[in-house]
Amino acid sequence: MIPQLVTVRSRRRNGRWLRLYVPVLPVLLVLSPVLLLAMVAGLVACVVFRISPVGALRGTGSVLGALRGTRIEIEQGRTAVLVSVR
Amino acid sequence: MNEQRRQILQMLAEGKITADEAERLIDAVTREQPETPPGPKPRPKYLRVVVSSTDNFGGDGPGRVNVRVPIQLLRAGVRLTSLIPPQALAHANAELARSGVPIDLTQLKPQHIEELVEHLDDITVDVDQPDAKVQVFCE
Repeated sequence: MIPQLVTVRSRRRNGRWLRLYVPVLPVLLVLSPVLLLAMVAGLVACVVFRISPVGALRGTGSVLGALRGTRIEIEQGRTAVLVSVR
Repeated sequence: MNEQRRQILQMLAEGKITADEAERLIDAVTREQPETPPGPKPRPKYLRVVVSSTDNFGGDGPGRVNVRVPIQLLRAGVRLTSLIPPQALAHANAELARSGVPIDLTQLKPQHIEELVEHLDDITVDVDQPDAKVQVFCE
């Protein structure tokens, strides 16, 4: 199952937090024309480099599906960036 | 039912001991029995990398990195390696050899990496420096 929500939080030098909640499915729907083009380009690349397109699609899908639960926190002094995939 | 408990009940049935005595004996036997072994350890789901540094990079103060990656993501990444074209592997091998790292990536099969990921839960890496600390573990 693909992630539902990506949360990006950033703390600026002045201590204020910037929070960004990205709902994955609606964003994917909005970007679907671009994703379609990217998919076609990927298929062409697979043919050029003699990679199985089905395997590549399956691998990409499994990577996307396994992203849930990923959490990255980087803090440096007063600044910080937190990314959470749920 | 174990043998000791059966004997106690037998003695109770024969009238050699009273019900209270039988109860006390059964309690004592139960306490003497070793505890049941715990079930299988739950498998870890995440790989954690924690880096703490007291270094004052750029005058911003100490830094901290905390990364939690699902082990399932590592497995998915391992499966993707099987898609790397052979010519790319040969190129990477040549570059590694030139850098003094003679590793033949073509010999590294996905099942080997899968086994490595499988046993990641046994790995704990702790690096302690006066100004930095690195921890890699599974949870």
